Amino acid sequence: MPANGTITPSTLSVKDLPWQILWDLDKCTLCGKCTAVCPVNAIELGVFRKRIVEAPLGIAVKPAHTYKVYYGIRQKTDPAYRCVGCAMCSMVCPNDAIAPVRSDEASKLVFHMDRGGQPRRRGGRRNAPGTLLDRIKFIRISMLTDPALDAGRHEFELRTLLGRILPPEENIDFFNRHGWIPPVREIYPLVIGGMSFGALSPNMWEGLQMGVAYLNDELGMPVRICTGEGGCPPRLLRSRFLKNVILQIASGYFGWDEIIHAIPEMKVDPCAIEIKYGQGAKPGDGGLLMWYKVNRLIAAIRGVPPGVSLPSPPTHQTKYSIEESVAKMIQSMYMAWDFRVPVYPKISATSTSLAVLNNLVRNPYAAGLAMDGEDGGTGAAYNVSMDHMGHPIASNVRDAYLNLVALGKQNEIPLMAGGGIGKSGNLAANAAALIMLGASAVQTGKYIMQAAAGCLGSESDRCNICNIGLCPKGITSQDPRLYRRLDIEAVAQRVVDVFLSFDTELKKIIAPLGRSTSLPVGMADALGVDDYHISQRLKIKYVV
Amino acid sequence: MSDNIYHRISGKENGVRIESRVLEEKIQQAVADGRRFIEVQAFGQHGIGGRLWRAGDDTVTVRIGGYPGQRVGAMGYANTTVEVLGPASDDVGWLNAGARIVVHGNASNGVANAMAQGKVYVAGNIGARGMTMTKHNPRFSQPELWVLGSVGDYFGEFMAGGVAVVCGVDAQDPENVLGYRPLVGMVGGKVFFRGPIKGFSHADAKLIPIADADHRWLVENLAHFLEAIHRLDLLKSLSERRQWQLLRARSAQEKSGRRLTSMAEFKNQVWDAELGRGGLIGDLTAIERGPIELVPSGEMRRFVPLWENRKYLPPCEGTCPTGIPVQERWQLVREGRVDEAVDLALAYTPFPATVCGYLCPSPCMQACTRQAALMAPVDVKQLGRASIQAHLPELPPLSGKKVAVIGGGPAGISVAWQLRLQGHEAVIYDLSEVLGGKIATLIPSTRIPVDVVSSELERIRKVLPHVHLQQEMRREDFLQLAADYDFVVIATGARKPRILDIPGAERMLTANDFLAAAKHNDARIGKQVVVIGAGNVGCDVASEAFRLGAEAVTLIDVQEPASFGAEREAAEAAGAKFRWPCFTQKIVAEGVKLSDGEILPADTVVISIGDVPDLGFLPETIATERGFVTVNEFGQTSDPRVFAIGDVVKPGLLTEAIGAGRRTAEAIAEMLAGKRPTTNLRQVIDKKRITLEYFDPRLTEFEDLDHCGSQCSSCGACRDCGVCVNICPQAAISRVEPDGGGYEYVVAADKCIACGFCAGACPCGIWNLVENDPID
Repeated sequence: MPANGTITPSTLSVKDLPWQILWDLDKCTLCGKCTAVCPVNAIELGVFRKRIVEAPLGIAVKPAHTYKVYYGIRQKTDPAYRCVGCAMCSMVCPNDAIAPVRSDEASKLVFHMDRGGQPRRRGGRRNAPGTLLDRIKFIRISMLTDPALDAGRHEFELRTLLGRILPPEENIDFFNRHGWIPPVREIYPLVIGGMSFGALSPNMWEGLQMGVAYLNDELGMPVRICTGEGGCPPRLLRSRFLKNVILQIASGYFGWDEIIHAIPEMKVDPCAIEIKYGQGAKPGDGGLLMWYKVNRLIAAIRGVPPGVSLPSPPTHQTKYSIEESVAKMIQSMYMAWDFRVPVYPKISATSTSLAVLNNLVRNPYAAGLAMDGEDGGTGAAYNVSMDHMGHPIASNVRDAYLNLVALGKQNEIPLMAGGGIGKSGNLAANAAALIMLGASAVQTGKYIMQAAAGCLGSESDRCNICNIGLCPKGITSQDPRLYRRLDIEAVAQRVVDVFLSFDTELKKIIAPLGRSTSLPVGMADALGVDDYHISQRLKIKYVV
Repeated sequence: MSDNIYHRISGKENGVRIESRVLEEKIQQAVADGRRFIEVQAFGQHGIGGRLWRAGDDTVTVRIGGYPGQRVGAMGYANTTVEVLGPASDDVGWLNAGARIVVHGNASNGVANAMAQGKVYVAGNIGARGMTMTKHNPRFSQPELWVLGSVGDYFGEFMAGGVAVVCGVDAQDPENVLGYRPLVGMVGGKVFFRGPIKGFSHADAKLIPIADADHRWLVENLAHFLEAIHRLDLLKSLSERRQWQLLRARSAQEKSGRRLTSMAEFKNQVWDAELGRGGLIGDLTAIERGPIELVPSGEMRRFVPLWENRKYLPPCEGTCPTGIPVQERWQLVREGRVDEAVDLALAYTPFPATVCGYLCPSPCMQACTRQAALMAPVDVKQLGRASIQAHLPELPPLSGKKVAVIGGGPAGISVAWQLRLQGHEAVIYDLSEVLGGKIATLIPSTRIPVDVVSSELERIRKVLPHVHLQQEMRREDFLQLAADYDFVVIATGARKPRILDIPGAERMLTANDFLAAAKHNDARIGKQVVVIGAGNVGCDVASEAFRLGAEAVTLIDVQEPASFGAEREAAEAAGAKFRWPCFTQKIVAEGVKLSDGEILPADTVVISIGDVPDLGFLPETIATERGFVTVNEFGQTSDPRVFAIGDVVKPGLLTEAIGAGRRTAEAIAEMLAGKRPTTNLRQVIDKKRITLEYFDPRLTEFEDLDHCGSQCSSCGACRDCGVCVNICPQAAISRVEPDGGGYEYVVAADKCIACGFCAGACPCGIWNLVENDPID
C-alpha cells in the first residue's frame, strides 16, 4: 500500500506477515531473477526515494538536503500476494542478497485468509511439526544371537503380503468348496500412496512411475504405487508396468471409464484396487481439483472436458451403510478382473475404524484395510480439515491390529498405514514403528514429494500452495512452464535412492531384532516410548 | 618321527575330565620345561595348542587325539604346529597369529575366523562361516586356509585378507563347494576353488583369471598341504589349472563403481520401449517436457511485459468533463513545444483561458496522481491562463450540413465550436444581448478578468460568425429550425430562477437579476443582506454585495451549504456569515422571518436556490422529466435529430457543459458521416502503476510552465525517459523509431526473463507484466 493511504481491516504491514523478505541493498545486483521466479509475485522492484539532510556542526553554513532514488526488492503486503516462504528467491539469487525469514511475531495474516468469505484452502499437511512416531524407540537389541545380522550385507526378506491370507487348512477348504481363493500379492512394504495425475504434474507422475519400474525391473524390489483418484494414462494401463500400480477408485470415479475400456487390452493385471472412502489429510472431504489445473491432458485421462472444476463428493453416492459400501464396492471391483486382483478399502483413520475392520473380517473378499492418519498430505483441502480433523495413525493401527489379534485374525487381513510417515524425515523409523504396531505395509506420499522432487512444503506453513497450480518445483503444477523444472529421470533416480536407503535403514532397525526372514508385523515388544500414557495406550513398553 | 619323543598330557585325571584351564596350565608348563613335542589326549577342552610363546624361537608340535573342544590353535604362534588327528570342533585357528594347524578330519563352523597369519589345513569339509573376518597384516605373510572338500554357508564373510583354497574333493555338497552366500562383505584376499558353486556376493568379490604366478603359487603350496594331510596322491589331479577358479575381493573403487543401469538408459531401453515414444503420455500430448532452467527467457517465461503506451487515460484527462488531454499538453511543454501545448486546448474547448485558467474548479488537479501521495498537483491553471494566446487552427471548408444551436452559453458555444472545427455550419440563436451566457452576464468580474472573457468571445466569433442574438424562441420557431436544419441542439441552460412560494416573496431579488446588474455596477444593495441559498451562486452574490457596499451578508440554507472552492473562499474572505439549518417562513419589511420566529434583519434579500430551464418552446415530442430534458449518453433527446446539453439537461459545472457540447458535436458529426456515434472506451489508469518516487515531495509551488511539465508523472503515456532500458537486467528493452514516425519501446523475448523491473521502475505506469499465453 502507499506509505500514507487509507487502511482497511485487512491492511497489513510486513511485520504482520508470517514470512518476511530480507533483502540486502549492498549485495543485490538487481538481476531480476528473484522477482522472475517468485511463484506468487510476492516481491517486486521497488523505487525508493531517499533524503539526506546535511547540517554542518555548529550550523556554520545553512543546512541542505538532497534526494536520491534507488532501486531494490520490495515485498508486497496485500494478503493476496503474501510471501509463502518457498525461498525460490534465495535459490536463484547469485549474490545471496535475499531470503524469506519467519517472523518473530505471531502471524496476523491468519485472520485475513478468508477474502470473500472463502475459507483458506491449501496443500501440504497438518501444520504441526513432529509426530508421535518419532518418539517410538526400538528397544530390543538382540546383539548376541547367531547369526547376528548385518543390514548392509545380509539377505533379508522384507516383502509383505497384500490380499486376504487364510490359514492353510481354511485355504484348502475354501478352495475345495469355492474353487477360488483370494488373490495375494507379495509387495514391498513401503507403498507410494495415492497422488492423482492432476494433483501431480505429468513430469512428477511419470518420474515416480519410472522410478518404481526401475526398482522392480533393475533391482527386483516389488515396489507398488497407487494412482490416486484421477485415472491412469492409457499407455500405462496397457503396459507391463501396470503390475506395479494400485488403481484407486474414489467417489468421483474420474478416469474409470477409460480404465474399463482398457481392461480387454491389458497385458498384466494391476497390483490391486484401492477403494478410497476417505483420506487422512481431509477426512470427510473429497478431491478439489480446480478448473485451472484441468488442461487437455488431465481432462483426457480423467475422461472429462477441459477447464472444468473436478470436485469429488465426500462419499460414494450409492452406498448407505458400511456393510453395503464394503460388500458392494469390493464385489464390483473384483468382478472387473475376474477375481484375480485384490481389492481393499482405504479410509481416514477414525475412532470408528474398527466398525469398518470388523465388517471386512466377515468379508472373505476384503484384501486388506488401508488407514490414513491425520498427518497425511494432500494437494488441496480446506485448512480447517487439514489442521483440525482426523485421527492419529499410531493408535488407530494399534487398535485395529489388537482387534484382529483378539479375533485370531492378525496378519490374515493386512493393515496398511499412512499419514505422516517420514514427516520429520524419519521414513524408515516411522514405517518400522507402524509395522511393529501392527501394519503389514505403509503408504507414503508427501515424503516422496519432498525426497524425490524437492518439495519445499513444511509443517511450518512453508509454501503449501499445491492447490493453486503454482508449485515452484513443478510437482503439483499443470503448467509446462513450471513442471518442466522437474526432470523426469532425476525424479525417477531419487525414487530409487529413497527406496534403496529406506531398505537399508529398515534392515538396520530389524536386524538387531534378529529378524531377517519376515517383516516383524505386530512385534510390539520391541517398541518403547518415553511417555507413560502413550505406552499404556499403544500397549508398548514405557522406557525412560 | 618316533612317537616316544612326545610328552603326553591327558585331558583326564583319575578318570575325570580336567578343566580347560588346568589342561592349558599343563601344556604351558610342559613348554616352559622344554618340551617341544606334546601329545594331548583331549576331552573337549577349549583352545588347545595356542599361545605357546614360551618356546621362543624353538618350534613346538602339538598333536591332539581324542576330542578337542572349540578353538583349537586359537591365538597360535608362528613357532607352533598343531595337528588334530581326527575331526575338530568350531573355530579352528581362531585369531591365529602364525601357527600351522592341520586337521585330519572335518572341521565344523568358524574355521579360521579372524585368522591373521599362519595356515589351517583341513583334510575334509568345513562348516559355516569359515575364513570369516580374516586379515592380512603387511608385516607378516598372509594367512592361508586349505580345505580338501567343500565349505559351509556364509564362507568368507567380511574376509579382509589371506588366501583360501577349496579343493572340492569328496565335497559335502558336490553341487556347491562354496556354500550359500559366500564372500558377503569381503574386502580383501583371494579364494581358489575347484568345483561348482551357486553364486557369491558380486557386490563384494569378482572372478578373475588365474595368472601364471597364481597358479605357480597354488601348485607349490598345494604340495605342502597335501603332504601335511598325507594325500600327495592327489597332487597331479589337483594341479590341473583349468579345474580351478579364482575369486578376489573388489577394491573400494570397484565397489563404488558398481554398474547399475543409468536412469537415462532405463528410460530409453525399457520405459519408452514398453510405453512408446514420448513415454507415459506421448500419445496424449506433443508438449515438450524436458527440463528448463528456473528463470527462462522467451516462450517459457510465465509472464511477459507489455508496453501499454496510451492504453489507459491519465486521471487528469479521464476526469476532465471537457476531456482535455492535460497530460499530453504537459508532455508538449516538456518537449519545448509550449505553443502547441497552448493551442491544443482549442481543439477541446472554446474557453481554455476563461474556464481552465479561472472559473473551473479543476477536477483534473483533484484527480492528479500526485494528490494520492499528498503531493501538490500539477498546476493546470497556469496552462489555462496561458491559453489566452492560443492560436486558432485553420478551419476546414464547410460541408454544407447545418446545425441550429439554441442558446449561446458555454454548452451552445462548445457544440457549435466543435461542429465548425469539423467542417459543419452551426448557427447560434440566443435570447440575450451578448454571447456567452452566464460567463458573460452573471459571473462577477472579480473572478475573471473582463478582457479574458472578451478576448475568448472574440476568438469564438471568428469561428462562429452566424450568431443570432435576442431571438425569442417559441414553439413554432423551434419547429421551423428543426425543419430547416439537419440537427437542432438545445442549450438554453437554466435561466429561470427558482423562487419560494411564501408571503413577501415579492420583496426578494433573484440572484441572476442581482448578479447581472452587479456586473454593470448598477445593482442597488442595502447595508444588511440576507442570501437565501448558500451555494456557489449565493457566494458570488455575497462577494458582489460586499463589493457594492453591503456591510453584513448572511447566507442561509436548509442544510450544510454545498458551496466550495473559489466562490466560497471569496465570500468568506469578504466577511459573509453562513447559517444553517434555517427555514424561511416569510419575508417581512425587517428582513427574513424564520420558522422558529427569529427575524434575520435585512435591507436586501436575495434568493439563490438554483435555476430551472424554461422549456416552453419545446414540442411534446421532446421528452422531459422534472423540468429538464431527457437525453442519452450523446445528448440525444427523444427526437433523434434534436440534442440537448448543459444545464437544460442537468445543472452542472461550466466544464461539464463544454464537455457535453463536445461529445454531442462528435455524435452529430458521426451521424452526419452516416455512422453510429461511439464513446471513448479507454479507461483511466490504475494510479498504483505510477511511480512518484522520482519527484520532489516537498514541492508546493510551480515556478512556470516548464516546472509544471517536469513534475508531471505522465500517467499512462510514455515520457520517453529511458528508465526501463536501463533498469532491465537483461538489456532486453530497446527504443525504436518505426518508419511511420514516433518511437516505441520493444522487448527482445529471447532476452527477457519477465522480472517485471520495467513495470516497477516506470514512472508513467506504461509497462505491465501480464501472464504469458498458456501452453496446453
